[in-house]
Amino acid sequence: MRRLLLASLLAVACRPTADRPSVPRTAHRIVSLAPSSTELLFAIGAGEQVVGRTTWCRYPAAALRVPAVGDGLNPNVEAIAARQPDLVVLYRSQMNETAAAQLARLGVATVTLAQDRLEDIAQAARELGRLTAHQPAGDSIGAAIDALLQAPAPAALARVAFVVWDNPPMVIGGGSYLDQLATLAGASNVFHDLAAASATVSIETIVARNPDVILVLSDSTAPPAYSARREWRAIRAVRQGRFIMLPGDLFGRPSPTAPAAVAALHHALEVEARK
Amino acid sequence: MKRWLGLAALVALALVSAVVLGPAHVALADLTSSAIVRSLRVPRALLALLVGGSLGVAGASLQALVRNPLADPFLLGLSGGAGLGAVLAIALHVAGPWALPLAAFAGALGAMALVYRLGLVGGAQLDPRVLLLAGVAVGAFSGAITTAIVSLAEAADLRNAFLWLWGGLSGASWDTVLVMAVYIPVPLVVLYAAARPLDLLALGEEPATHLGADVEPLKRRVYIAASMLTAAAVAVSGVIGFVGLIVPHITRLVWGHRHRALLPAAFLGGGALLLFADTAARVSVAPRELPVGIVTALVGVPLFAVLLRRWTGRGARG
Repeated sequence: MRRLLLASLLAVACRPTADRPSVPRTAHRIVSLAPSSTELLFAIGAGEQVVGRTTWCRYPAAALRVPAVGDGLNPNVEAIAARQPDLVVLYRSQMNETAAAQLARLGVATVTLAQDRLEDIAQAARELGRLTAHQPAGDSIGAAIDALLQAPAPAALARVAFVVWDNPPMVIGGGSYLDQLATLAGASNVFHDLAAASATVSIETIVARNPDVILVLSDSTAPPAYSARREWRAIRAVRQGRFIMLPGDLFGRPSPTAPAAVAALHHALEVEARK
Repeated sequence: MKRWLGLAALVALALVSAVVLGPAHVALADLTSSAIVRSLRVPRALLALLVGGSLGVAGASLQALVRNPLADPFLLGLSGGAGLGAVLAIALHVAGPWALPLAAFAGALGAMALVYRLGLVGGAQLDPRVLLLAGVAVGAFSGAITTAIVSLAEAADLRNAFLWLWGGLSGASWDTVLVMAVYIPVPLVVLYAAARPLDLLALGEEPATHLGADVEPLKRRVYIAASMLTAAAVAVSGVIGFVGLIVPHITRLVWGHRHRALLPAAFLGGGALLLFADTAARVSVAPRELPVGIVTALVGVPLFAVLLRRWTGRGARG
C-alpha cells in the first residue's frame, strides 16, 4: 500500500502541470473534513458514501463508525489519500487551499464549502445533494433553512450574550451563525455590532452591555465555573444566575438541525422570561 | 530624589488612568460608587501594578544573577512549565475556579525545580550559563509536550488553555489581588536583602567572593525568589513578555547598577508599564480587547530601542 502510494506520488511529481481533477458526476467515496459537511452528508442520506471524517465529526452517531483521518485543521493528505476517495469535502479556509492543491496533485477531486452562516448550510446541502445523487434531500434541507431565514423574526424576548470562554472573556459577535440563531429565536445579541464571529472583550464591557441572559455552549446543566467568581458577579445576569445552556449537538456547529436549535432556544428564552 | 518623584508621579498617573479609562462609560462623578470601578477596574489596576512590579524585579535580579542582559523572567523555562500545567489541568478535568492558576503555578515551580537541578554543576555550584541553557531546554521541551497534548486531544477546551496562558489581566479580581499582595512580599524582601551582594556579583563570582559575598547561597536564593515571583505572575495573569526584559534595562540607565535603588525602581517601573499597557489593551480597540502582551511589546520595544541608541551613542562618545 505504502509502496503503491509512493509510486503514485512519484508518478504525479513527474507529470507535467495538470489541471485540477474534475469532480465526479456522483461521488461514491467521500472524505469529509468538516463536522458540518459530515453531518449534512448523513442528513441527506449519503452517509454510506462517506469513507473518512475528522476526529471532530461526531454527529450523527452513525458518523463515528467512519474511520477518522485526522483533526481536519491541517489535513493529513497521506491519510486522506489512503482512503482512496473520489471526492474530498473541505471547509473553505486559507490552510485548506494548500491541502486542496496537494490533493489535486494526487488526482483527488475536492470541493470547498463555506460553512460559517446558515445560508452557507443551505447552499452546501444543495451542492452535496447534487454531488452525491441525493439532490431532492439536499434541496429540501436547503429549502427548510431558507424558510427559517425568511420567517418573520419573533419579538425580542431577551437581550443575550454568548460567553464562550471566561479568561480572557470571549463572546460571539454578529458575524456568526449563533448570532443568526439568536435573532431567529427571539433574542438580541448585545455583541451583534462586532463584525467578527467571536471576539475577546473585557468583563467591564459585558457589564456595560448588560445582557438579560448569558448563553453558554455546554452539555452540562450546571452554571459555568466562572459564575462563582467575584469579578464575574459584576454582571447582572451572572448575579441573577440567568444562564441558558446550549447543548453541543444542536448548537456546536452550523447544522441542518438549525430549525430545531432555534425552537429549543426560543422555548428556553420563554421559560427564562417567565422566571 | 527628583528621579524618584518622577517615577512616583508616573505610577500615580498610570493608576489614575487605569481607573478612569475603560471601555464602559463611567461618569467622573460616579467613579467611587460605580460597581464597574470598584469590582473590576480597581482590582485590575492593582493586579497590573503587582504583576508588572514582580516581573520588573524578577527580571532585574535574574539579569544580575546570570550576568546576561538578555535574561527575562520567562527565559528560564517558567512559561513552558506553566502552560504545561494549565493544559494538564484541563486534560485531566481538574475543576474549580482556581484550578488553572494553581496548575500553572505548579507547572512553573516544576520547571523551576528541573532547571535548578540541571543548573547545579557537580551537585553544588549553580552555574549561570548552564542555568540559562537548562531554562531554554526545559521551556522548549515542556512547550513541545503541551503542543502535542493540545493537538492530539479532542477537547476544544484545550485550545483555550493557550488563550488563558496569553490572557493577561482579564481574570483580575480582589481575590487575585489579595493572593498576590500576601504572597509577593516574601520573595521581594529576599531579593532586596540580596541587593548589596548582587552588586558584588555583577563584578564576577571570584571578585564577589573575595569581597566577602557568600556567592553560592546568594545565587540559589536569588534564583528561587525571582522564579517564585514569576510563577505567581504567570498564575494570575498568564505570560506577559518584555516587561521583565525592558524595565530593568531602562531603570539601570536612570538609576545605575546599584541594586538597592534598582530593584525598587524596577518594581515601580514595571508596575507603571504594565498599567499603561493594560489600559491601552482595554481601551484602544473597545469594545474588543487586545492581549496585553502585544501592547507591552508594541510600547516597550520601541522605547527600549530609543534608549538603546542613546545608550550606545553615549558609550561611543565616552
